[in-house]
Amino acid sequence: MKHTQSSLKIGIVLSSIPGYSETFFRNKIKGLQSNGLDVTLYVDTFSEVPQNLSCKIVSAPSLGNGFISKTIVSCVAALKCICLHPKRSLKHYNLDKADGLPFKHRIKNLLLNQYLLNQNLDWLHFGYGMLANSRENVAEAIGCKMAVSFRGFDLYLSPLKHKNCYKVLFSKKVKYHVLSEKMKHTLIANHISEERIHVITPAIDINLFASGDHTTKAKENLEILCISRLHWVKGLNYVLEALALLKSDNIDFKFTIIGDGEERERLVFAAYQLGILDHVTFAGKLSQTEVLKALKQSNLYIQYSIQEGFGNAALEAQALGLPCVVSDADGLQQNVLHEKTGLVVPKRNPKALARAILELHNLDSEKKQHMADFAIQRVRNEFNVEKQTALFLEFYSN
Amino acid sequence: MNNKLKIAIYSGEIPSTTFIERLIQGLSHKNCEILLFGRVKKKPNYRSNILIKGYKSGRIQKGIYLVYYSVLLTLFRSKDKQKLDAILKTNNRTGMYDKVKCYPVLWHQPDIFHVQWAKGIHEWDWVKAFGMKLIVSLRGAHINYSPIADVQLAEVYRTHFPNVDAFHAVSEAIAKEAQKYGAQKDKIKVVYSGLDLDVFNTTEMEPSSQNDDTFNVISVGRPHWKKGYGYALDAFKLLKDQNFKFTYTIVGGLNLELEYQLVELGLENDVISINHVPFHKVQQLIKSSDLLLLPSTEEGVANVVLEAMAAQKLVLTTNCGGMEEAVIDGENGFVVPIRNVQQMAKKIQEISLMSETQIKNLTDNALATIKKQHTENLMVEGMFDLYQYK
Repeated sequence: MKHTQSSLKIGIVLSSIPGYSETFFRNKIKGLQSNGLDVTLYVDTFSEVPQNLSCKIVSAPSLGNGFISKTIVSCVAALKCICLHPKRSLKHYNLDKADGLPFKHRIKNLLLNQYLLNQNLDWLHFGYGMLANSRENVAEAIGCKMAVSFRGFDLYLSPLKHKNCYKVLFSKKVKYHVLSEKMKHTLIANHISEERIHVITPAIDINLFASGDHTTKAKENLEILCISRLHWVKGLNYVLEALALLKSDNIDFKFTIIGDGEERERLVFAAYQLGILDHVTFAGKLSQTEVLKALKQSNLYIQYSIQEGFGNAALEAQALGLPCVVSDADGLQQNVLHEKTGLVVPKRNPKALARAILELHNLDSEKKQHMADFAIQRVRNEFNVEKQTALFLEFYSN
Repeated sequence: MNNKLKIAIYSGEIPSTTFIERLIQGLSHKNCEILLFGRVKKKPNYRSNILIKGYKSGRIQKGIYLVYYSVLLTLFRSKDKQKLDAILKTNNRTGMYDKVKCYPVLWHQPDIFHVQWAKGIHEWDWVKAFGMKLIVSLRGAHINYSPIADVQLAEVYRTHFPNVDAFHAVSEAIAKEAQKYGAQKDKIKVVYSGLDLDVFNTTEMEPSSQNDDTFNVISVGRPHWKKGYGYALDAFKLLKDQNFKFTYTIVGGLNLELEYQLVELGLENDVISINHVPFHKVQQLIKSSDLLLLPSTEEGVANVVLEAMAAQKLVLTTNCGGMEEAVIDGENGFVVPIRNVQQMAKKIQEISLMSETQIKNLTDNALATIKKQHTENLMVEGMFDLYQYK
């Protein structure tokens, strides 16, 4: 397999360099490189070269804040457009014109996309749907193929915020990568033909999250874990309400949330008002080693999101044989198979969630072990990095 | 010699929020001088005894303002200036912005320095060293939840609350809450928010295009999580599933979270979102609805509920904060527990079945409650008593 596509040049557009926790992009880039593909990363800004990521990185020119710096950067971009790649610039301008963009926007797009117009690539791949906004014609202008990944938030929430934001994109010849079958159906509903949509699920490092001699823990102590940003899309307020129902039934539990975010105050106050603050630990952001330790110490994992692309943490929990309760949001219902590798509960329904937590916790140990074994095996077979890389190689091959 | 009481009302910004402006305007009818410090966003048209001593936000304007007060203090009160500088230095507050905030207060030296937002208390307890009385308002989130989530803030309160001369609490409930952080009970006076009743009695109805058999519910307030709109939407989803006919208007706009919830629950055609409308228009919208709903998880005493009661409109509130001090379930409005979707839905349905006579009784009682404890006069007198507290 190696080197068969060594001539392929892939440009991946992201807003910033993927951090350590964004394993999806890091795994993908490493996987492609190890198979001989030439990967360049295009980002809005970056201050230092990241460790452990050896691809070429190109940053968009910074416009600065003041009028003078904006004018200078724009003039430089305009000169480069005219002198370095006039044909491509003209093509980009004309394609924008054909899309019905007003003159001002055509010029603005041209200047902002100038840093991409001199690139020679086989694929220009936008890492999120919104990153392709105002850049829908770059790939055609430079004569390469265009790919766009949708990850959840960009497909379901961005269009609410920016009406018709994908109107132009969806009219283009683009190959789409999505994380789940649900997202594929959403794109089909937007009149994208099925053959242009490829589902490639996230993958995890199955050696890091190896279960060892996994045996499900005794049911006495209900120790629930959730790894999540403290953001409304994660549905944590509904989890707290479900836990309050458990408390009112005199069921003892401990709930730990690993992660930080803008809604900490909201969630702490909710836990306080619901009378469960003593049972809840807001652990903040933790290192991978600490996360692994917490996963191994818990006996139930929850991901009750309102919107979730796929949910890597739920994969990691399953890989360790931890019983999982998840919502039916987007990719989660594909991530966890209901009653086979965990339980899937309708979202925004704390009563149903409370029932599911109890059902899973009280499951007899043999059934629980069977569920854990199946989950571990499934994650190892279906969600490993090698499989993901092979699917991406196939994605770029035709 | 001028022996009028000099009162500084400090919220950080001029003009301030509606209810603080209402307090400023009300107090200006008393025999006192009101000083306003802080950043001037816009100069309101005040009575002559309200003096704006704030600064514009530009760096140059702030610089000139600072030089002006520095010179005055150096020339005429250099010892006081040195004393204040020493206090600020001890508290590691040596930046230009700290002086911009403090020097004018020292120069004008009001008798009372009334801090409207408790979170800023640590910046102002120096005023006591110069004989000014420090008064702090206990309002909403600053007391009800911020110190629960932020242990450092709770510690700031515990350190500084014992130094405060008097507290103004917007409700009995918040007065009780503040005692957890060291506010002494005998130093707290509850002064309820007050309204100018004439404004609400004379508001006309907005012409309605709704069907008579549709129950029209309205909420007013920005889409902040504490307003609990998510619970209201979940409640209306339950009602819709029971074929209950309604429209729900949210004045204040929706955020992305609520918009997504609306789409997911299939309520796009049942919920109307209105962004920014002027005050009188909001009153018209309230008047033409059947029910004002406050689904909040936290409030002091929500002004919008008081306003609806003054306009003789039915209200349904959660039992958050001090709401039950104004609304008594079944007497002058309705109350449901916080964060309880099922009970909220059930109550809305029950209210929709009420007769005209029952509604009239309740709304008469509501207006009586406002006249008894929420008039502008009561607020001003209560506050003035607090300022003269020894």
